[in-house]
Amino acid sequence: MYRIRIHGRGGQGIKMASRVLGTALFHAGFTVQDAPKYGAERRGAPIFSYVRADRQAINERGTMYRPDLVVVADDTLLAVPAAGTLLGIDAHAVVLVNSRDSADTWRHRLNLDAKLVILPSAAETADRANLPHIGATCAGAAACLLGLVERDVLARAIAEELDGLGDTVVAANQASALAAFDALAGQSGLVQEGVTIAAADYQAPQWIELPFEDASIAAPDIRAAANSVQVRTGLWRTLRPVIDYDHCSHCWWVCSTLCPDSAIRVAEDMPVIDYDHCKGCMVCVGVCPPHAIAGIPEYLAQQQESARATGGGADDTETAQR
Amino acid sequence: MTEQRFKRMKDLPSTHLLGTGTPMCSGCGGLEALHQIYDVLGDKTVFVNAAGCMTLLSVYPFTPFRGSWLYTAMASAPAGAQGVRDALDILAQQGRMPAQDDLGVVVLTGDGSAYGMGLSATSAAMDRNLDFIYICYDNEGYGNTGQQASSATPHAALTATSGGSRGYPGYKKDLFGIWAAHRPAYVATVIGSEPLDLARKIEKAREMKGSRMIIALAPCPTGWDYDPKDSVEVGRLAVKTGVWPLKEYIDGKVVHTRVPRERAPVEDYLQLQGRFGHLFAPQKNTALLEEIQARVDTYWAGVEPQRPAS
Repeated sequence: MYRIRIHGRGGQGIKMASRVLGTALFHAGFTVQDAPKYGAERRGAPIFSYVRADRQAINERGTMYRPDLVVVADDTLLAVPAAGTLLGIDAHAVVLVNSRDSADTWRHRLNLDAKLVILPSAAETADRANLPHIGATCAGAAACLLGLVERDVLARAIAEELDGLGDTVVAANQASALAAFDALAGQSGLVQEGVTIAAADYQAPQWIELPFEDASIAAPDIRAAANSVQVRTGLWRTLRPVIDYDHCSHCWWVCSTLCPDSAIRVAEDMPVIDYDHCKGCMVCVGVCPPHAIAGIPEYLAQQQESARATGGGADDTETAQR
Repeated sequence: MTEQRFKRMKDLPSTHLLGTGTPMCSGCGGLEALHQIYDVLGDKTVFVNAAGCMTLLSVYPFTPFRGSWLYTAMASAPAGAQGVRDALDILAQQGRMPAQDDLGVVVLTGDGSAYGMGLSATSAAMDRNLDFIYICYDNEGYGNTGQQASSATPHAALTATSGGSRGYPGYKKDLFGIWAAHRPAYVATVIGSEPLDLARKIEKAREMKGSRMIIALAPCPTGWDYDPKDSVEVGRLAVKTGVWPLKEYIDGKVVHTRVPRERAPVEDYLQLQGRFGHLFAPQKNTALLEEIQARVDTYWAGVEPQRPAS
């Protein structure tokens, strides 16, 4: 059985990727399961979907603990433990990362035995609508690494799954998927089929027995006020709004009120963006009367930050003062 | 009536009560309205939440609220509110709770519950003149489960359950009219992209007794298919085009709090949203667009003579 897990963010087309891959494998003669993990996922939040494909009936269900191929559509997720991108990866697994960084860099960062393949990210654009179809790209790349699906079957699967969205959308997704399929042609068939897991080998998780408690203890009561601030929704962000305080006219009542997430607080008549929680919706960029807020790609902002932290030019004056 | 509290945008609260870190979508128009509403209502508020997107606000062990939150089944939030109100009243009557500890009871539901499943319980609550505030965040579909059509879905919109070249065949239910027909203390429509109008109405509702009913149109990037950055623009256009009339029912009369001087064509509002994309491509569906425009025009033809003084 082949087990494929696809990780991305809500809105990137990760569910679509698993459907396309599943349909393509079905047309290639496999019995297929494909499903997104259903839960409280929201646009920008880490999500995953999975595909199982086998020549015989599939009896496995639920979470995939030993994937043969893991696709990571957004490399920032690798640093988010809650996303679980690396769950169950061993030397047998192939990890495909959509990234600007090299395989060597990721091998060094992750220290994994797994075979790492990089799918080079497209250049960032300020308008997210112009980004290529990452779901389709991942499906195409995964299909190539599996080496089980022909090019035209992949194109047909996309046409079927996106039927109803119009010819333009289908064609654009096909182009993205096939480009990725072709780009990885040298590594076609890299993914090895995983072993069938026998019920006899099942090892029970290390359950923790919880005694039945009185309702005052057992009920899921939350007694803290506004403790949701402990959830770092800033991790959802792909674009970062940055206030240019030289042009800010201090009309905080606009951005601070209209920010859906209450992530712009007011300090001494100035709006201050809370990057731990800003989800990067960019509403503030659009509503700022003096246009003093710009949206920059999050990865660039992080690069600039780490350059400053490791003693880049910006900190020279501070060092001199010390 | 202290409309004085919010004369200008500058008078809006500069501190926000609702915690950050909620699982709502990036650019959520419902969350935008809710955090503004909470800032005006204050922390002495208990929320009774029917199943919907905002159920996820308080998922154990986290909550963005500063007080209690109670989760009910989809049709039962007003019944839950009755229980909470009664409990508070009994505590006060028996001298077990000082008067200053009393809480405002607020129901929070989506349109699936408000326009559909929960309407019967809401009607009964208004019949009893339950002392509560009802807030419906209306994103015109069952957003939490993938935007299936609800009875708040507008004509021609694409949803998970209404596709094709004509979209949703039904018409958005007039919940404001249905609620107002019960003659409750207050009914109002608001939207997060018009914070001053919203704050004035919530302040008005806060100071009243009895059933106070609020419908907040909640632009929804996920369900309506537009870039999250456009949430405020979509909301402003809903008002400018007259698609979302800002109004209130008070003392037995309906008053429009914002009558657009020159209404923008509804196309301006529709074409920002993917759910109406089929009206513009592959070719423009002029007949359907004119039908939608005509409905808006007919509505305002009955309103425009009564322009507000301010």
